[in-house]
Amino acid sequence: MDNKTVTLHVNGQSHALEIPSGQILLETLREDLDLGGARGSCGIGMCGTCTVLLDGKAISSCLMLTIQVEGKHITTIEGLSQNGELHPVQQAYIDHGAFQCAYCTPGLILSTVALLNEHENPDDATIREYLSGNLCRCGSYVNILNAVRACRPVDDQSHSV
Amino acid sequence: MNYKLLQPDSLPEALGALAQYSDEAKVLAGGTAVVLFLQQRLIEPTALVSIGQVPDLAYIRSETNGMHIGPLTTLRDIERSSVVQGRFPLLAHACGEVGNVRIRNQATLGGNLAEADYASDPPTALLALGAQVTATSANATRIIPLGDFLLGFYTTCLEPDELITDIYVPACASGSRMIYLKYKSRSSEDRPCTGVAAIAAFDAETCTDLRVAVGAACEIPTRLPTVESLAHDEVWTDDLLREIATSYAASIETLDDIRGSAWYRTQMIRVHVQRALEEIRNGYR
Amino acid sequence: MAIGEPVPMLDSVARVSGTVPYAANLKLPDMLVGKVFRSSAPHALITRLDVSAAEQLPGVAAIVTAADFTGEDTPNLHFGSTIQDQPIIADDRVRFIGEPVALIAAESDGIADQAMDLIEMEYKELSAIFDAEAAMLPNAPTLHETFPQNIMRHAKLRHGDIEAGFAVADEIIEEIFTSPVAQQASLEPQVAIAQWKDNKLTIWTGSQSPYTVRSVLASIFGLEPETVRIIVPPLGGGFGGKGNIRTQPMAAALAWKVRGRPVKLVMTRAEEFLTVTKHAAKIKIKSGVKLDGTFTARKVTVYWNSGAYASSSAHLVQAGMLRTIGPYRIPAVHVDSYGIYTNLPIAAAYRGAMSSQGVFAHESHMDTIAHRLGVDPLELRKKNLLRTDNTFATGEPLSDVYFLDCLQAVVDGVGWHEPLPRRNGSVKKHGRGTAVMMKNTIANSSSECRIKLDSDGHVVVYISTVEMGQGGHTAMAQIAAEALGMPIEALSVSGPDTAKTPPDAQTAASRNTYMMGNAVLDAAASLRKQLAVAAAPILECPLEDLSVADGYVLVTSQPRERISYSEVLRTNNVTALTAMGKYTTNVGDLDPETGQGISTTHWHQGAGACEVEVDTKTGKVTVLRYHSAAFAGRVVNPMLAGLQNDGNVIYGLGAALLEEVAIDTGQITNPNFSDYMLPSFLDIPVELKNVSLEVEGSSFYGIGEMTLPPVAPAIANAIYDAVGVRIRDLPLTAERVLRAIQERTDHGQ
Repeated sequence: MDNKTVTLHVNGQSHALEIPSGQILLETLREDLDLGGARGSCGIGMCGTCTVLLDGKAISSCLMLTIQVEGKHITTIEGLSQNGELHPVQQAYIDHGAFQCAYCTPGLILSTVALLNEHENPDDATIREYLSGNLCRCGSYVNILNAVRACRPVDDQSHSV
Repeated sequence: MNYKLLQPDSLPEALGALAQYSDEAKVLAGGTAVVLFLQQRLIEPTALVSIGQVPDLAYIRSETNGMHIGPLTTLRDIERSSVVQGRFPLLAHACGEVGNVRIRNQATLGGNLAEADYASDPPTALLALGAQVTATSANATRIIPLGDFLLGFYTTCLEPDELITDIYVPACASGSRMIYLKYKSRSSEDRPCTGVAAIAAFDAETCTDLRVAVGAACEIPTRLPTVESLAHDEVWTDDLLREIATSYAASIETLDDIRGSAWYRTQMIRVHVQRALEEIRNGYR
Repeated sequence: MAIGEPVPMLDSVARVSGTVPYAANLKLPDMLVGKVFRSSAPHALITRLDVSAAEQLPGVAAIVTAADFTGEDTPNLHFGSTIQDQPIIADDRVRFIGEPVALIAAESDGIADQAMDLIEMEYKELSAIFDAEAAMLPNAPTLHETFPQNIMRHAKLRHGDIEAGFAVADEIIEEIFTSPVAQQASLEPQVAIAQWKDNKLTIWTGSQSPYTVRSVLASIFGLEPETVRIIVPPLGGGFGGKGNIRTQPMAAALAWKVRGRPVKLVMTRAEEFLTVTKHAAKIKIKSGVKLDGTFTARKVTVYWNSGAYASSSAHLVQAGMLRTIGPYRIPAVHVDSYGIYTNLPIAAAYRGAMSSQGVFAHESHMDTIAHRLGVDPLELRKKNLLRTDNTFATGEPLSDVYFLDCLQAVVDGVGWHEPLPRRNGSVKKHGRGTAVMMKNTIANSSSECRIKLDSDGHVVVYISTVEMGQGGHTAMAQIAAEALGMPIEALSVSGPDTAKTPPDAQTAASRNTYMMGNAVLDAAASLRKQLAVAAAPILECPLEDLSVADGYVLVTSQPRERISYSEVLRTNNVTALTAMGKYTTNVGDLDPETGQGISTTHWHQGAGACEVEVDTKTGKVTVLRYHSAAFAGRVVNPMLAGLQNDGNVIYGLGAALLEEVAIDTGQITNPNFSDYMLPSFLDIPVELKNVSLEVEGSSFYGIGEMTLPPVAPAIANAIYDAVGVRIRDLPLTAERVLRAIQERTDHGQ
């Protein structure tokens, strides 16, 4: 396996790394950059625990080779808080108890951020549909829905189903 | 996992690499299939040709006679394109049914067609739409109707030295009504047990054209022109729709997998062809 | 008042920031990667195993095979918490596809993969058996010679005169129910990191049972337990699958061979299915009833498919015996609960262990009986549900049982008596169903804790409770905070670490809140006493005139005469006070021939009711509304309790509608999340509600499992209500329902 030198932009910082050309992004993040918030679970893009944002869009880092993302902007959960302050979505998840074991939580939070970037005021159906690719085995979906609803600009009753 | 990684910057360079490595090469487009296969050690190519940075392969171009879609266009971009939603809502919907948002952000239409996964949504929709695939090698270009492109289980007529360079969807008759039904027998996140794509054109109450493609229940998406023609020049009665649905169910050889037995799929073809046609007739917005 | 408050989990910021230190995140210097080479035959004699090429591959640090265990001073190859029948890696025989045969420690995943390819194995196949009932037949192949007919355990319950009971019955109803092999499927896989240094073994692992892991590893390696240290970070889910002992012996064996360097063993998703499963079960249930709806007898035979090795099945089979009967007054009950060896991966604890399968059987059966008698299934339950002072089938009197209240709460919630939309001619039919469960606790059990109070007013609670998302640590902090009269912010929880936190049986079976909660109360009481003793001379007051509350020791009759905890310590020149606490329960011994005795200290109780829609053309079942209730006694944290109740229902939806491990001649064919599907956001009912029932003056009981087992039977009963078909095999797939509907139509019913 050849090594390759790549430059990655992660959470606003650039890193020059030498990695095996077949390494997946999840492994680079966890092993080379010590960013453990993205996790491995299913290995096939079904569960969402490896979710990161690539130029603002949610992708499965277990299905992306690191060489594919050179030059693009990656956001991991570690990049969400600013100056020690939690991102509003993170705070909403705490306020609504939207997790149990929290293995899926970074993936869900990042997917929520991506959702709100695409839909400023999503209704319940849109929220459920958008987040349906993030599995929560502990079953915190009800509280997650409440947390995401609270992130809408106006807590509009007519949107809740 | 020991392969040579190639990242061509241009189409000629990519085609040159394929000409050189032929069936020892694997093309990496989005990666949702290929990276999975590599991780699970299901494939062991000599060369991995990553074409993600080849320019001008991701586009949606609407013309009078049809629409051209670049092979590297992501399924999500097709799903969300207002142009596709306006002209071919069937295709936008079918692409939007694939996997989850993350998969759709990464997977490409070219990659999807080249893989020829039977349990997939876009090929069924594209077959009903009469799509054509352009396959290009270093020496030649050919245009292939999708029905001739998809040959069988994970098999297409694409040669090892060819890349899909365009997908063309010809315009439908004005006022066409279309629908894609993805029936999932288990979780909402499941791959299709049965997929039905239907497009119909009408002159008042009389149907002038019908195309119905069934996928995921069989090896490759399937249209039955003889059965489709039963609907031509007819007003759609319940009996007619039932006859078409029953004929589709009787004529398609279904397969068994974890999402349903062959018997069950036969029932689902009948049920969902009928529901697709009823939706077109009754409930079309 | 911390108890009863919806306190966020103590490490909430870490949870939303991605910094929870799950075991796989641990990076130690010089760490090696471990991998497992596995059998591809379900039952075979190994005739040749050649690892020499693999051993010589550069970057391979060690390969472990059974040959490493044959010397005089080598570790024991076989282990088990009850029956020591499981080899760390196969000796000369493999008993399931996927059984570990060799272990590899290498510098990287890539090198370990290459080493796997270089291992050569040949075997002579033996005939294999996969069905539990068939494995008991005379011509079935034997897995373990000391267990004839492959019966690993036969637990019996004999209560009352069963012959007489059936003789006086007006109706006798017999049914057979099956549950398939399923998987606990926590999102975090099984992880064990082991290091052998200076004759001491340290394991970092996501385990629900650190002290069991310690004691079994100590006995494998002939070590004093104190030289084996188990450290357990928070888990990414457990659900029973990380209980008992799993991959830790393999990691430890690699560490022992390598000496010095830590070895990290992480299961892939496919390997998860080979590591532990949920028991497939076949339950034959036969009941005698009078026309007025009273029971006269019940006979149950259950075959638990335990897989190739005993593991925790040995005692689960006995627990399971009690979990297939049902919370009803039945004067004569016989149960035969068989744990059977088959050539499949090991089955072990699963959320609501053995109840999941048992409740599906007895609650589906209840509705069949109701329909046979022509009575409302709700009324039949109300008539027969056990009440305080009734006797259970073990002969023990019941107290503190609220089955009727649980049932009433869920049927009210789901609007049981409102008319359903049953439109004639409609393709989609609605129906309602309900189910009730009871489950004994682990009755012979102990939990200990240590609480330390610093002179700066900070409290640390040292417990071996495992935090796996249920909020066990947070709940213990709340209990300690209230008992000490301190704000929750002043508390932190540490553990498990067997070098620092005292013994606890395990975090499973919903025992933590009750057992460790009471141990914490015990320690807190002891700490308050120490504070009073230390404060008495300062306040110049006899001990009996002092109170300890809200962070102060005070003179009871003159509360302004008081001194803060910190002051007490500082004045006494003490940096910290430490108190131990313990809570032990000592029942659970049942007569081995009759199963009579006291099986539990208190009963876990729950119920569920649902409304479903069945598409009669596809058979697809959609759960529209689901209400659950669990008896909690006293809720420590209502937010966490709600998460447990809803989480259990969602988990149960998977088992009811989606999940089945597909097996073809011993080969698992769907060991991934595309083919084995877990409930997603879109699979849950739009209306999902729960309630935790409390009783004045009650202790706090666990609710980690109670609302799960009723899910499958409630849905099955609702399907019957909707379309008149009884599905007796899980999962309740669309195809099963459609076939049943068509059969019913064919038979003109």
